[in-house]
This record gives sequence, structure tokens and C-alpha cells, in this order.
Amino acid sequence: MTTPTRRLPARAASQNGHRSLRPDEVLVAQPQARGRRRRAPPRPSLPSLPSLPSLPSLSGLAALRRDLPATVMGATGALALRLRELTGRDVIDLESLQEVISVYYRLAALREQHRNGVFDVDDFGFDRGLTEALIPLFRVLSRRYWRVEVDGTEHLPQRGGALLVSNHAGVLPWDGAMIKVAVFDAAERHARALMASWFDELPVASWLLRRTGQAPGHPDDTLRLLRHGELVLVFPEGVRGTGKPWSERYRLRRFGRGGFVEVAMHAGVPVVPVSVIGSEETYPMLADLQPLAQLLGMPYFPITPTWPLLGPLGFIPLPSKWRITFHAPVDVGSSDATPEPATVMELADSIRATIQGGVVDDLMRRQRVFRG
Amino acid sequence: MADGRRVLITGVSRFWGAELAARLEADPGVDQIVAVDTQGPARQLARTDFVRADIRHSLVGKLVRGLHIDTVVHAGLVVDPQQASRRSVHETNVIGTMNLLAACSGADSPVRRLVVKSSTAIYGSEPGDPSFWSEDMRRASPARDSFTRDLDEMESYVREFEVRHPAIAVTLLRFGNVLGEVHDSPFARLFDLPVIPTVFGFDPRLQFLDESDAVAALDHVTRGDCRGTYNVAGAGVVVLSQAISLMGKINAPVIPFVGGSLAMRVLDRFGLVAFPIELVRLLQYGRVVDTSRLHDELGFVPERGTIDTVLEHGRRRRVRGLVDDAEPYRYEHELEEFLRSRGRRGEDNGPPRPRAASAPTVRARRRRSPQPTPDAEEAT
Repeated sequence: MTTPTRRLPARAASQNGHRSLRPDEVLVAQPQARGRRRRAPPRPSLPSLPSLPSLPSLSGLAALRRDLPATVMGATGALALRLRELTGRDVIDLESLQEVISVYYRLAALREQHRNGVFDVDDFGFDRGLTEALIPLFRVLSRRYWRVEVDGTEHLPQRGGALLVSNHAGVLPWDGAMIKVAVFDAAERHARALMASWFDELPVASWLLRRTGQAPGHPDDTLRLLRHGELVLVFPEGVRGTGKPWSERYRLRRFGRGGFVEVAMHAGVPVVPVSVIGSEETYPMLADLQPLAQLLGMPYFPITPTWPLLGPLGFIPLPSKWRITFHAPVDVGSSDATPEPATVMELADSIRATIQGGVVDDLMRRQRVFRG
Repeated sequence: MADGRRVLITGVSRFWGAELAARLEADPGVDQIVAVDTQGPARQLARTDFVRADIRHSLVGKLVRGLHIDTVVHAGLVVDPQQASRRSVHETNVIGTMNLLAACSGADSPVRRLVVKSSTAIYGSEPGDPSFWSEDMRRASPARDSFTRDLDEMESYVREFEVRHPAIAVTLLRFGNVLGEVHDSPFARLFDLPVIPTVFGFDPRLQFLDESDAVAALDHVTRGDCRGTYNVAGAGVVVLSQAISLMGKINAPVIPFVGGSLAMRVLDRFGLVAFPIELVRLLQYGRVVDTSRLHDELGFVPERGTIDTVLEHGRRRRVRGLVDDAEPYRYEHELEEFLRSRGRRGEDNGPPRPRAASAPTVRARRRRSPQPTPDAEEAT
């Protein structure tokens, strides 16, 4: 897919922009080096020792690697059946397991393509193939772990640009991933979330987030994406939202300076308010060690019941019950000139009020935090 | 005097200037081409008058007025930080440009167009940068290295010149990373390694421009009628890992993401890497520019997109060594002398043309310097 640059007509972009690669025009990496490395010299046989069991051959290893997920699937399936007989209910969800294993196979296939350079990223670095291969993993999290219920998907436009504006909570931005899954499942579209520039500095996350469709939260980037007809997901609260202490959960922070409204006006696209509940309970933040955060260059250093007490286990989010509600689109009009600050702030406030109202409504409907 | 253009080009000892001169030679609308450099042209040129002079000296002003130069192309900017010492880069890029601009200014200046070659390095490469740099954006943080600072300073002189001389059309071209057969650039050197060091955990978006498109852009602007600043880069983007795979190389994420430039500095000291330290950040954060202005306002579209440039570069490099590609670009002094003498004879019939090389001031400054090898060419 090509994202044409701002003033470039789509036609010109398709002519001169990206084109898909054919496998035959790609230089295939020379495999000799790898072959040499693996071909181990013959083991000298020592007469005093009993003969060693022969090492599995290279093809045997490859076959093992290929079949491992299926073997795991079979074994777990048997276990699941046994558990169901014993307990009378589904302890292991086979469908989710299947999804996870399908991710393994799709990623293995993609890795082969990537090794030969046969993949396309758009101008923002979004790799559709990789993203769609990873979605099942997040879908399992969404359906089985947080049991996300989604309302108001009819408010998502089927085509054309729109700005999704959501509240932001939880120490790690899982809410972004869950909204993206909900949008993809409802509309078969990829929401492009805007991320804090801080993620650009993190190894692995820097490219993985971009490859899965994120863009830096720069007004110019947002405008480009919207003008190209993309769904853009923005969290105007930013790190102020994710870094909220537990005591202030579900109280929306200031919505930036209303810049998102201005961008939507420039692009002439509607704003879809999104409210998310459940995300606040994933990592109850008891304290924020600001001095340490500043030392590490992080926006906050959270203390949760499990982090840093349990080390890496502290990264595991709590399985709260989630609900995502898409509200009716707000038409912010369209203007090329700089809009009146008063109008912008008024619209930003009303959108914030819609989201806060949605959060409150959903919280009232929620009977338990974790069960349900 | 004839109506055709009279062009002065700096930096012909390197790829850009020499290739541009060769292209202008083919245009009958260009009356005279004068090339100024301290070293001989990087390729043989037929009707270009070569003046061995340093643009850091005031003689360029005399040359411009004496020859009634109407178009000045400043292609002599060093954009490969490894090509010269920090001090000499500063001398060339900042002081040289200052002198050239001084030479073009003044009420009696015959100059009507000024084309300056710059680099997209001016935008820097930082986390949180916009995905696309358009020409009017400025980097958020000050430049970290002397090379980029020099570039910034150079461009500010050009802008100042533009404001002071509204009658002179000033065009600034910011070129992205150029790959090609002849052109030696930091990225070309990087891609020549069998195992390519990259920054661990980072896979930046990059753009590449084919060398022929780079020269074509310079040529287009020199002969066209435009002013302003334009980004020049191939369409589309490539991520570094993809570029490496497309060239059939091995990606080695060995540069640490913290203190990467320090590590490279250490490796550089021991002579283990030949990659400018200034570009380590580019390997970490990447840089992509918006070229829509180039397409829409100048009507110039590079023939090769980014991916095509990378593929073509890989193809050429595979056969390098089989074909003696260095030959056509060796500077033949005797041949040049011969062509010069032939040109002088032919002049008797035509209109008298001022001959720069015979000017005493110039001759006094002429000195024999070692011929440049193709490897010492210039880069983006």
C-alpha cells in the first residue's frame, strides 16, 4: 500500500511510489555460510566409550521445528479433553490455542519472506502482512483474557479518514492494542495509533510499533494519515493518562491542547470518541518513582502490587473485564485556516465529556471488576 | 555576447560537479561552462573550461564578472563527513560557500541564478522526528555534530543571500542518500561490507536516490527556472533490514543502542569500520523526507524509486570487479590539454570567448595536485 505524500496526487504516487516485489527480482541471501556453520566435523569415536547416540540430522531438526506446534497442539488437546472430563468445564480453550499456533506458522512463513526482502512497508513503515499475522495473538488476549465487549461499532466509518479519540489508562498501552483489534474485527481496517516519541528510543519496540501501524504523534503525521483516508487512533491524555495513580482511575486528564481537533478540522474528518473501561485495573499504579524515571529517561516509574516486586512477572497485566464503546462521530467541520482557539477548546471539551460520560455509564453497568 | 547560459560549477573534482558539467555540455543552450576546483575534474569533459582555483579565495568574484556568468551551481559541498577532515569540511562548506556568495553578490553581479546542493542531513535524525520532513520544517534539537552544524550555517548564508538579492533566483536542493555505480557514499561503503552492522533493536526507514537521478535533478534545476528549497529523494521508503536483504547481505545488529556513536568511535579509532560516526544516528532513527514539492512544483520525478535504487545497486555491486568501471572516470590530463588546444583553435572562427585559464591571476594559482581516484569522490 502506498501512502502518498501530502500534496502528491494518488496517481503519481502509485506510479513512482512503492511497488510490490516479485520474488524473482530479489537477490536471495547466499546460504553457504549457514550451511558451512552447521556441518560439524565428524565426531572422533573413542573406543573406550559406548557409541554416542547419533545426533538428529539437519532435516530431522527442521522437521521437529516445523511439527513442534502441531505436537504441542495435539498434546494440549488431549489434556484439554481430559480436564474437561475431570472438571466438567473448559479449562483450556482449544480455539485460542489454535489461534496462537496459527500465529507461529504465519510468522515462520513471513520470516522466510523477510529474509529475502520480499515485503512491503508503506511510507510510514506499516507492514500489513506482519500486523495481520500478529492480530490473532491479540485477539486471544482480547476475547479470552480481558473478555472485551465492544459496543457501537456501527459508528466506525467503513471508508475514509476518521480520528478515533480515546481515554488512556494502564501503565502499558494495552488499550491501544485492544482498540486496534476491535476496529479490525468490526471494520476490517487498521487503526493507526499515534505513539509517544519515547517509544522511538526503545529497542525492538521502536520498529515493531511502526511496523504494526503506529506513527509518532506529530501533527504533520496525523494530517498525512487522515488525508490518506486512514483511521487514526489518538490518546490526547498521553502519558498523563497511563501514568495516573490508582486513586485517580477513570478520571480523564486534560486533553492536551486540543491539537487533535485542529488536525481533524484541517483534514476535514469526523472525530469518533471511544471510551474504554477495564484498562485502569490492568496495572494498579500505587506510586510513581519520578526520580528513578527521570534517571532512566522514562515518563514514569510505576510501583504496582507486582512490579517491581515480582520482577518480570510484574509485566503480566491483571485480567480485568473490559468494555470498549465507540460513540457517535462528531463532525468538527473542515477548515484550512487556523481555527479559532475558542472553537477548538470547546470541541475538545465536549469530546472529552462524551468519553468521560461513556466511561461513567460503562462503569455503572459493570458489576464486577474482574469477573464477567 | 551569445544568448546562451554561462554556467560556473564548483566541485567538479567530485561526482556531482563533473557529472553535471558533462550533462550541460550536451545542451547547446549552454554557451559556456566554467568549472572551478582545486583538483582536476572527476571525469573527462569536452568543452568545460577548467580553472584550478580555490573557491575560498576572492578570485571567483573576478571570474564571475569577467566571464559574465549568469548561473552559478555550487556543487562543491562536502556531504560525506568521512571524505575530509572536520576542519577542511568546515573550510569548504562554510567559508567556501560564503566566498562564493560574496562573489555572486553586488550590484554589478551578472548572476541571475544560484543553485546550491545541500543535504537532507540538515534535518537530523532523532527519536520523535516527524515521519516526513518537508522543506519548511526545522529540527527540534540543535545539531549534534560539526558536520550538520556547518550545513546549517551554510544554508543560513544562502537564505540570507536570497533575501538580500531578490533578483537572483536561488534554489537549494537537499539530497537524500545517493547510491550508484560511480558515486561513493557512506551507505554505498556500508552496503559493500559482507556483514552489515546495524543498531540492535532498531530498523530505520530510509530513502535512497539513484546517482543518475541525483544529477538529473541538479541539471533540471540548473536549466530550469525556479527558486526555493526542495528535498530530492527516491519515492517510497525502505527499512534498513529490507535493504540489506534485498542486497543479499547479512544483517548484524551489533551496534549498541545506547552509546552507539561512542562504540563506533572506538571501532573507528582501531580502523575497523569505515562509516561516519555522524551517520550512526541515521542507522538508529532513520530519516524520510517529503518530496511532493519536487514533484508538484518542479515537475521532477526521479526515475528510480527507493526500492528500485536499492535493487539496482545490489545488481551492479554483484558484477563489480568483473567490469572495469573505474576506467571512464580517470582524469586524463593530456587528453584534457589536447581538447583544450583543439577548442582554442576552433575559437578563431567563432565569437571570442574569454578564456579563464589564460588569465594571469588564475595561472599563478594553478598548481599540480595529485589526481583524484574514483574512490575519493563525494557522497551523500
